[in-house]
Amino acid sequence: MNALRLFTLGAVVLALAGCQQQSALAPAGEDAARVALLSWILFAGAATIFLIVVLALGLAIAGPERARRLLRAEGSVRFWGIAFPTVTLVALLGYGLWLMRDTIASPSAAEVRIEVTGEQFWWRVAYDGPGGRRIAEANEIRVPVGVEVEFVLRTADVIHSFWVPSLGGKLDMIPGRTNRLRLKAERPGIYRGQCAEYCGTAHAQMSFEVVALPRDAFDAWLAAADTPAAPENEAERRGAALFLASGCGACHAVRGTTAEGAIGPDLSRIGERRFLAAASLPNTAENLSRFITDPAAIKPGSLMPPFAIFSADEQQALAAYLASLK
Amino acid sequence: MSPLARARLAAAWVLATPGRLALTIAAGAAIAVVAGLLFAWSGIYNIAASRGHLKVIDLLLRFGMENSVRARAPDETLPQQPDEDLIRLGAGHYHAGCAYCHGTPSSPAPPVAARMLPPPPDLKDKVGVWKDGELFWIVKHGLKYAGMPGFPALERDDEIWAMVSFLRRLPELDRDAYRRLALGEVAPERPSGADIVETGGDQEAIGACARCHGNDTVPASRLVPILHGQPAASLERALRDYAAGLRDSGVMQTAAAGLTESAIRKLASHYAALPRPAIPPEPRDAEAVTRGEALARQGDSSRGVPACLSCHDAEASPSYPRLAGQWSRYLERQLTAWRKGLNDRSPTGRIMAPIGRRLTAGQARDLAAYFASLTPAERGRP
Repeated sequence: MNALRLFTLGAVVLALAGCQQQSALAPAGEDAARVALLSWILFAGAATIFLIVVLALGLAIAGPERARRLLRAEGSVRFWGIAFPTVTLVALLGYGLWLMRDTIASPSAAEVRIEVTGEQFWWRVAYDGPGGRRIAEANEIRVPVGVEVEFVLRTADVIHSFWVPSLGGKLDMIPGRTNRLRLKAERPGIYRGQCAEYCGTAHAQMSFEVVALPRDAFDAWLAAADTPAAPENEAERRGAALFLASGCGACHAVRGTTAEGAIGPDLSRIGERRFLAAASLPNTAENLSRFITDPAAIKPGSLMPPFAIFSADEQQALAAYLASLK
Repeated sequence: MSPLARARLAAAWVLATPGRLALTIAAGAAIAVVAGLLFAWSGIYNIAASRGHLKVIDLLLRFGMENSVRARAPDETLPQQPDEDLIRLGAGHYHAGCAYCHGTPSSPAPPVAARMLPPPPDLKDKVGVWKDGELFWIVKHGLKYAGMPGFPALERDDEIWAMVSFLRRLPELDRDAYRRLALGEVAPERPSGADIVETGGDQEAIGACARCHGNDTVPASRLVPILHGQPAASLERALRDYAAGLRDSGVMQTAAAGLTESAIRKLASHYAALPRPAIPPEPRDAEAVTRGEALARQGDSSRGVPACLSCHDAEASPSYPRLAGQWSRYLERQLTAWRKGLNDRSPTGRIMAPIGRRLTAGQARDLAAYFASLTPAERGRP
């Protein structure tokens, strides 16, 4: 009964892992597919070896005398204990290196280059926009489908690690170094990523989403960065005025306004992100207000000071304005 | 058997084994506890303050108090040169916080306070007994069994040092000199008999803001902020937060505690509408002003310091104070308090606290120089 339960639980966990957006077992890119293939080979090999070990154990305990004699012969020990593991592991290492040869180093220039800088506890993103301008974004990365994208990975403070399991392996962001990772999304979709190196109190809430779009949609999205949304109704206008008067612009930038702060995430298009606070909260008006009022309650260690100065009315206006930024 | 021989025999019995010794000590302690409880329960002890202490108890308490203070006081001292700004700030708070019990050169302690046990001493005679650090410790922590309270804001050592500076000056002060320091420009009129009958004719003007902050004039101490022309909303916030104990200041918590909501609103709009008197020009360090301006306009993103002017210029939210034309001494001292981790729990203070901690000492100095060099925007202009 217990074994059955355990088996069911394991099966459910595996199944869930398979259908979630953040899963190394549900590849959506070449690199992730290679990692997944390697994983399956490892799982299968390990299962086979485990069966052999169990069989040998059974024979050693209760097998016929001939089998037991064979098992304890010096030749058997040499083969199964030295030769077999050495050959297997060397073969696996060689295969792994060969399989992953293209993931990191590639001499050819990638078509799309995206800079990602890890900061406690969010992701600073910069695209090469039309005309060579840098376009700042944060916590959500858009990529074109079927195109190899080079991620230029840096950190502003401690070691972080950039990992989108469905698209490929992970790569650390190391202080003083620039690491490069190439990924290609084969299918449109939203793939979740996560900081994979403990970086401080809110490490677990340092996530992001990679949105893979068809190439033309991606180009259009990038080009639209130059025409920021202007407030359209009274609430949005009041929110915009509050945003500027309350000092938000000292840390956050919104293109097309006097808010040019570069300390915190760029908010020029925060309204189109599905999540807030480095993909840790669904992007709703209520959550926006919660985060503004007390960021540390949601992300301990967040560098943003709590802004508990707004009335309910003002909170709504601010949320309306931020939601309109697309 | 003689009593002496019996005692010797008993002592020998007790000391014969460690077990007997321990048992005897435990029994002695238990008897002492029970006796103490019986004594307290019986009501034999006379708790009357009117009776005073036995001479020997009084000497013992004093001896213990003096040694305790000396053992705990910090070694720091005041600077050699008396600091008039500190002294005036201290005088302002002495008048509101200390004078009721300790009296002043212009009015002795009232009889009610004088009948405390021990009676609060006339400090003129006492301050010479203590070193600077010891006075600091007493003002900060107060004295158990003496009714001397601790300072309302233990985080504000800077305010406590202002008190110590004033206490050092106190013995030299006559009535007029004291009133000049503690009341500033406030000169209560001599009340008529009817005034005294109806309102008490308070000549001490304890709650008068202008004693420290000025009204027709700017504050006499450059460590006291100029409030003239500040946005009413920021003044209201400050007063409410002090009254609620969300902002740490022994001086201002004392001053704001008794204010009603309507008094807060009237006070705030009064200062907000006041034209700003001319202030004596301060010497300027042009380089510091330039560095301060760059920081105030652009911030220092390498340290996570946002541009100060985003919240503190004339167009920012009226919930935030304006800094243009403020005393550089006040600004630097306040920024130093933030830098040292002032734990402000008010809504606006919680915004400033993490930013203040990121500043360096040099940046605090530069910013103070820059904001002091600005002319405040006139009211009515954006």
